[in-house]
Amino acid sequence: MNSFLQIKGKRLWRACAFLVLGIMLACCGEEITGLEMPDTATVGQTVTFKVNISIPTAGDGGPDYLIFGMLVPKGWKGAQNAVVTYNSQALGGGAMNLIPSNALPKNGGGLSWPAYTKKIFGNGGNLIDDMEWIVYQSEKAYPHSGGYTFTGDVTVKMKVAADGNPTNVKLSFVISDSGNAYTSDNNGTYYSQKGSPSCFEVTGGTGDLVDFCNPQLTTIDPPKSLDNDIVSLTFDGTVVETDLKNESEVYLCATAYTNDGKTIKVCEQTDKTKMVQTSANSKRYRATFWPKAFFNATDAQTITKIEYYITNKAGTVKVGYGNTADPFVYTFKCG
Amino acid sequence: MIRNLNIKRILLLLAAVSMAISCKTEKVLPSQEALKTITGNWQVIKASRNGTDLDGLLDFSKFRIQFDGTNYKLVDKLPFIVNQNGTFSLDDPQYPFKITFTATGAQAVSTVFTYPIVNGKRQLTLTFSPGCPNNSYTYVLQQVN
Repeated sequence: MNSFLQIKGKRLWRACAFLVLGIMLACCGEEITGLEMPDTATVGQTVTFKVNISIPTAGDGGPDYLIFGMLVPKGWKGAQNAVVTYNSQALGGGAMNLIPSNALPKNGGGLSWPAYTKKIFGNGGNLIDDMEWIVYQSEKAYPHSGGYTFTGDVTVKMKVAADGNPTNVKLSFVISDSGNAYTSDNNGTYYSQKGSPSCFEVTGGTGDLVDFCNPQLTTIDPPKSLDNDIVSLTFDGTVVETDLKNESEVYLCATAYTNDGKTIKVCEQTDKTKMVQTSANSKRYRATFWPKAFFNATDAQTITKIEYYITNKAGTVKVGYGNTADPFVYTFKCG
Repeated sequence: MIRNLNIKRILLLLAAVSMAISCKTEKVLPSQEALKTITGNWQVIKASRNGTDLDGLLDFSKFRIQFDGTNYKLVDKLPFIVNQNGTFSLDDPQYPFKITFTATGAQAVSTVFTYPIVNGKRQLTLTFSPGCPNNSYTYVLQQVN
């Protein structure tokens, strides 16, 4: 009996030792501890985003560069319109530089840092796939030794919505280090991600609202396109209950505006305008077309925008923007 | 004994001479890579936009590009690297990597292409951006019999 208790005690001690060791080692990755940013801004305003970071160095390795990625709409051209710096009492301060395209992350399978970051962290919960990860690295490297925890900030000063479009978007930020590149091991997790706490709202501007946060009744893929692209227009009948809820077939009714001041209307309920349900009972209907051919525009004409409704087979029920009588509007542009 | 030795020497000499004259230098001719020709009528058998399959979403079956000599002709047009008929050229007739289209009255436009044989049939894969530069389309074309 005595012997049994001793063995049990040994096991208990070992378990406790492993637990304590585990807790100590689990702390050894970079962490975003806070994010300071406004809830709103205006188009073209330079906004400061401060990302609070903590870098424990209880492992033993490096020196590695601090990696910092931010997820922004492609139209903002963040790489050109942002200045990123870091500051830490222990590490000093410096610039975060864009990672050269020929520097590839470990375990990235040949992907670039932005592509690998997108693969790991995705679209940050945004509903339109028109976002990009822009990835920076610190100008100085730091070692993973000494048992210190460095705290500091990465500061982004960025001109938001440089494309002139009012935007609702979930921004996201990630940190890691060049030696571990978004990996975990027994010593900890070497990355941390933090998104804007709510949808960041950029108002003003002359463009159309780009809403990455809220489901839209209709979406166009690619989000940025010209009349010589192939576009897919999708109507999502699950977003809100519309007058088309009981219809089994829906059609596109659209008017094109051309650069020579003409309008071309295609509002017929035929195979040409029929929107096909993406899967059975999905209530999501899609039409894919080449705008130039769809509207029969001449070679000399350029379609600048379209206004459209979704209709029933009889053409008697029309659903417009925000489930109102106003048409949806899509402007053909690349920026 | 001396006679036997002479016979052995003569046999040895004969063997050495026959070995020497049996060797002849063969000239290895460099194999000539066939000239690649894309002359003919091509149709789209696969298409993607920004990496997403477009098959079944748009009717590509009627589109044709006809290569003839140095000319090409578009039939039942779709978004393509050029919108009008014109001339084309390959950067290298034996090992082509780039095709250049010059539509009548327009600037020349080049794109990298591949030319693999799949299931015994030559295919032509072209990637281009007819609309916004960020939107990339890939058409896989195959000759129409």
